[in-house]
Amino acid sequence: MAEAKTITLNMGPHHPATHGVLRVVLELDGETIVKATPHIGYLHRGIEKLAEHRNYQQIIPLTDRLDYSSASANNIGYCLAVEKLMGIEVPKRAQYLRGIMAELARFMGHQLWLGTHALDIGAMTVIFYAFRDREMIMKINEEISGYRLTPTFFRIGGVAHDATDEFIKKVREFVKWFPKALSGYHTLLTENKIWTTRTMNIGAITAKEAVNYGLTGPSLRASGVAYDVRKAFPYSSYDDFDFKIPVGENGDVYDRYLVRMEEFTQSLAIIHQAIENLPEGPVQTDNPWIGNPALSDVEKDISALIRRFMINAKGPNAPQGEVYQAVEGAKGELGFYLVGDGSEHPYRMKVRAPCFYLASAIPRLMTGHMIADAIAIIGSLDVVLGEIDR
Amino acid sequence: MVSLKIDGREVSVPEGTTILKAAQGIGIDIPTLCYHKRLPPIGSCNMCIVEIRGQEAPVTSCNTPVEEGMEVTTESEALHAQRVVNLKKILKHHALDCPICDKAGECDLQNLVYRFGITEVPFEPRKQKRDDSYSTSLIRYWPERCIMCKRCVTACREIKGIGAIEASGEGDDARIVVANAEICRSCGECLMVCPTGALTENLSRFKGRPWLEKRVMTTCPYCGCGCQMELRVMENRVIGVTTKLDAGVNQGSLCVKGRFGYEFIGDEDRLTDPLIKENGAFRKASWDEALDLVAQKLSAIKKESGPDAIGGLSSAKCTNEENYLFQKFMRAVIGTNNVDHCARL
Repeated sequence: MAEAKTITLNMGPHHPATHGVLRVVLELDGETIVKATPHIGYLHRGIEKLAEHRNYQQIIPLTDRLDYSSASANNIGYCLAVEKLMGIEVPKRAQYLRGIMAELARFMGHQLWLGTHALDIGAMTVIFYAFRDREMIMKINEEISGYRLTPTFFRIGGVAHDATDEFIKKVREFVKWFPKALSGYHTLLTENKIWTTRTMNIGAITAKEAVNYGLTGPSLRASGVAYDVRKAFPYSSYDDFDFKIPVGENGDVYDRYLVRMEEFTQSLAIIHQAIENLPEGPVQTDNPWIGNPALSDVEKDISALIRRFMINAKGPNAPQGEVYQAVEGAKGELGFYLVGDGSEHPYRMKVRAPCFYLASAIPRLMTGHMIADAIAIIGSLDVVLGEIDR
Repeated sequence: MVSLKIDGREVSVPEGTTILKAAQGIGIDIPTLCYHKRLPPIGSCNMCIVEIRGQEAPVTSCNTPVEEGMEVTTESEALHAQRVVNLKKILKHHALDCPICDKAGECDLQNLVYRFGITEVPFEPRKQKRDDSYSTSLIRYWPERCIMCKRCVTACREIKGIGAIEASGEGDDARIVVANAEICRSCGECLMVCPTGALTENLSRFKGRPWLEKRVMTTCPYCGCGCQMELRVMENRVIGVTTKLDAGVNQGSLCVKGRFGYEFIGDEDRLTDPLIKENGAFRKASWDEALDLVAQKLSAIKKESGPDAIGGLSSAKCTNEENYLFQKFMRAVIGTNNVDHCARL
């Protein structure tokens, strides 16, 4: 009897469809994948270790670079963790602004996913429309922070400064425009025969298995589990807003697509409610040890000058203790575990990156499918290596 | 021994100890500003106030000796409020110049303001600009930063026994004045104890910032005392000299040479190549050539007239290690005891 022969194919780390530097070693029987082994670590920058040598404020830019496609969504998780450790409350206006920025970041993440995912499978048109609209958010980021991709707009105790009129105007324009753009995306893909054939019943995972693999975010919800940190453990005033958690049924590539498409609508609803009901008031905590005094005060008040100096040069101390704070990032439950030792930098920071768990499900999802489906599966999980490798 | 209670904790200390020292001994941190451990209590800032059971008004702990059976409270709402008031009073006229102040980052006043989370101290300019003359040109006095703690005056009088400066004026008009500039030795003791940036070194002004500098502990090369000093290094250049309170024989003091005599290290006029004198004029030479010449001439003299015909003078501007090697060279290689150094090291 002839012996079955398999060939080993190395995909990545420089493969255009592995979204960064994911490497998957595929064992193929003809065109069928019999085994897939993801290899990670090509983008390791030591962010967790770096954090141990920076003060709490200086760590924020590092968190932008976890899931860089939706930077503000990481900022909010980290800032909330530090605030929980320090026991401070953020003013309502800052909470709303954070909510807007985090949801805009979710848009950026999902638009990048949509464009590249469709491109990988062969639908070239989508990425141009997705990036056209992503550019609007980039402009909003630039307006409020000066940076397009990694805004670092949040601070411990609030946000860097108040929203400008131009920012509010641009967000409103975006909210008004986006439903039209979204229906365009749907026209291109949702009922497209090639798209449905390439995605339906590919890489399906049951709810139980998804939970066992630790999947979170859209990839979990596509399997029918309505778990969203924004609803389960509301933070940053998310309970003020009316929105739904979209869920799928089959947990396949197509359902993950549909869930994310519906999340566009829900995020838009949150942004709409937040921008229209933006409360008045300060955007920084009034805690004298943490809230950065305004420059206008610094010019005429020595205590404000000294505090601003100390807060920026040395940074606030956090008490001894440990906290875990999770937020709903664009990819799933993004958690920050911090250990404070009473000094101005954390003793340990551990990031619970959702993409790490998504990547761990790759062998299970790919096995048994055709090699062309590997691309669809990676795309549908929406892994970002900046977050996995840290 | 005297037994007392501080914040409910029993403590026994020798008679005559101050409340502050007794508290520090058991790890209780009473905020201080004018207190300096090398100086006798000054009692000008009123930050270290504590409550004693049975006494109506709080007392300054830095200069109140312990008594048998005392019950001291170091933290209470009233004390905190009083300290905040005292600190705000000090801050009222303080110049708004932390961004350009050399002391910013290691300033006792900044640390206290941040520790207490002081807010709302609108700046009130003084009616008259204050005179910034000082007893030595090596130190600059910034009257608008001065908090009148009188540490400098006390250090000049008590540590050095000189008394070149003194405090003058009352209340808002108070300032440090020169009592006798002629007896000032520019030792910089006042500079060392100043808690704020009111006294800054004139040579290294604006050259670095405490958190950017590298601090290197070393031994002063100028004389046989061997004072421990700390070089402030910025971008591989020595920009100043300071010292540590508990280090070496000097325990925080330095003299004018040690503290201010460092500019030769990075001086542009230093020799960069060996020079050989030929026909009355110097010419540049390579190290190999220069060393060969020296070795040849020294051996010739030693051969002709014996080792004692050679003498060596070393310099205080070399490191101690270089000086050690030089005398070793003279004694062991040349074979003579004719070696000396300007500080008899």
